[in-house]
Amino acid sequence: MSREIHAKCFPSHCTRGGGRRQKQRCEGEAKSSVSVPRGTCMTMCPAYELRQRELQNRLHRFEVLTGTEHDRLPRADVSCTVKEYSRPAAGKDSTRATDLRPPDILLKTVYYLVDDIAASSTLHPWTEVYSFVFDRLRSVRQDMIIQRISGPECVAVLERTVRFLLFASYRLCGQPLRLFDSCINDTHLQECLSWLLECYREGQHQHQEEFQALSLLYNLGSAQAVQHVLELPGSVRLSPPVRLALAIGRAYVERNPVRLLRLARRLDFLQGCALHRHLLPCRRDLLLLYSHGHSSRNCRFPIQKLADILSLESSLTAQLCRAHGIHVGGEWVIFSKGSFTESLSEELQCAQMHRLLEDKQQDLTVSDIIHGVA
Amino acid sequence: PTVVDIVLEAIDTRDGVFCAELLSFKHPHVANPRLQLSSPEDKCQQVLEPPYDEMVAAHLRCTYAVANHDFVEAYKCQTVVVQYPSLGGTFQAHKEENWALPVMFAVTLDLRIFANNAEQQLLKKGKGKVGDMLEKAAEQLMSCFRVCASDNRAGIDDSKKWGMLFLVNQLFKIYFKINKLHLCKPLIRAIDSSNLKDDYSMAQRVTYKYYVGRKAMFDSDFKLAEDYLSFSFQHSHRSCQRNKRLILIYLLPVKMLLGHMPTNQLLRKYDLLQFADVTKAVSEGNLLLLNEALTKHETFFIRCGIFLILEKLKIITYRNLFKKVYHLLKTHQLPLDAFLVALKMMQVEEVDIDEVQCILANLIYMGHIKGYISHQHQKLVVSKQNPFPPLSSVS
Repeated sequence: MSREIHAKCFPSHCTRGGGRRQKQRCEGEAKSSVSVPRGTCMTMCPAYELRQRELQNRLHRFEVLTGTEHDRLPRADVSCTVKEYSRPAAGKDSTRATDLRPPDILLKTVYYLVDDIAASSTLHPWTEVYSFVFDRLRSVRQDMIIQRISGPECVAVLERTVRFLLFASYRLCGQPLRLFDSCINDTHLQECLSWLLECYREGQHQHQEEFQALSLLYNLGSAQAVQHVLELPGSVRLSPPVRLALAIGRAYVERNPVRLLRLARRLDFLQGCALHRHLLPCRRDLLLLYSHGHSSRNCRFPIQKLADILSLESSLTAQLCRAHGIHVGGEWVIFSKGSFTESLSEELQCAQMHRLLEDKQQDLTVSDIIHGVA
Repeated sequence: PTVVDIVLEAIDTRDGVFCAELLSFKHPHVANPRLQLSSPEDKCQQVLEPPYDEMVAAHLRCTYAVANHDFVEAYKCQTVVVQYPSLGGTFQAHKEENWALPVMFAVTLDLRIFANNAEQQLLKKGKGKVGDMLEKAAEQLMSCFRVCASDNRAGIDDSKKWGMLFLVNQLFKIYFKINKLHLCKPLIRAIDSSNLKDDYSMAQRVTYKYYVGRKAMFDSDFKLAEDYLSFSFQHSHRSCQRNKRLILIYLLPVKMLLGHMPTNQLLRKYDLLQFADVTKAVSEGNLLLLNEALTKHETFFIRCGIFLILEKLKIITYRNLFKKVYHLLKTHQLPLDAFLVALKMMQVEEVDIDEVQCILANLIYMGHIKGYISHQHQKLVVSKQNPFPPLSSVS
């Protein structure tokens, strides 16, 4: 072999001769660049898995062919069966090309899950819809990881996943733990957000501002999240959604819940979903601050005014005050720093206080929300 | 005699300092082209016992890589070098001896530096993620740390525990760089509970307190941060202007939050005039100037990671502004409108009377103002005695 060709085939440190260890390193490097799996499965569910689950009666009811539901072994509807998430295990080969879906199929799968399942008006209850979509989206991400997919399809998948999980965190707020686990939802949401923000580091992305803002709102109070945004290029940092999110973050850090809640009224529905879990704690904080700031036996504070600044109905405001030991008398409350109690009342749930967000949702369909309204 | 022979002699005579020099990239020998061998294994195996043969061979391969500006390769070679101290091996076998600690210091320092350089190189090519190589380097350093920390047999003079603080400081540098500050906690605990903690060299202690002070800042524990950073600043060597300036960048915001403003003289001495306008704004209660100052030097503050802490000065600024209003009106029943007017004069955007109440409530809650708000009378009623307690007395 001529020296030129030799040099091209093996990186320079290999041609210096000697060192068995170095040669092994070369070969290892060459091998790893070939071994990234490329999927060839053109359906939402690989044929092998579909057959297996059919035979073992492990199809989800959303995947069953109409008319066969009551058979001893229901049949799979190929247009509805979606590859499920499976935990990696020793001895299990998750890299078979026929079991992996390429990027365009993954995106089509996500569209199906959103439009036909999550946004369906006939599938009930939504907790079951959520579990199914959550699991199948997780499987999509798994395929992306194994094939090391990056690029526009990856971004499109992650964006929809984040929107779905954010929407779910609001929609299913208050559901019992066995039907919806907000901690698990949060873990996956954070993972997807991190991955998505990592993707945004290179190239141009149409929805980047939207998601940087969502990340800030969801992670209200996180210095790390803010620092990340401050280091972004000016065009993103100064975009309207990011500026609003930063302003809300500042109001939080300055401990000005009045300002925070006022700015929150300007958020759109999905942004509201992102911020939503912080709203009740903010309202509580306001009551704490006012209990100290307005602490005087002779002073009364009008409930309606309090309701306005809390963005709550006055009946709920009264309830919230009572839950925190604040004396309510007719149309007034009396603040007293001694009587404020931190204790979280069992009766009062965030889910009762969703009016602010309900108003924002209006005519938006689930499909609009997850695909992103222009 | 070749360099390999000289290393052998250093090992035989347990000359840790000299041995360290021969394996360190700070020493000029690394620039000698005759040493930059791509395959020095044979030479090393002839002269040295394992594991020194592998260590020195890897070191010499490293000099070759560095000469070629291939820091990714240099890093890989250095991990081989550090392997030996980190797995205990020969270093742990030096029971009741710690002469090789300088070697451990030298090779771990170079490991961290190469990890940094290698990452920069990869990032320029669009490959690799920030922190990947540094995290791996940290793992090796942790192993070295464990070797030192678990040395319970030797007497104080020969204990490997003397290596702990150096390694902790190296680990701090990595954790701060990759933004995983929570990993500092177990290290801080280990050092704080060590009986050697006040006996390490001043240089090491200054570095340690600098990082612990910065961590305390991050945890919003400002009193603690002030203690540590002040120590670091005061005990920094007089000639290390650069170090002192670096410490000040973090000490200044902390001190300002506790109500102590720096003099312009100090700022000029250390070339930190970026803080001058901030200081002036805060002490005058001038929110407008504060916002302008923060915007003007935004890039600098963000890069140092203190922008968010400086924003906390807004609360102090509100307090100073409102104190002026109190002094102007000379009454202890202050109309809320007066504060609104003051804020509007400072061009604070979209502020209304409800927000004024909230800001005042917060100041009362934090102890910056003694009094209460009467919504019905739209007044702030302050205590007749010391309604604005000095900042240093408020936590």
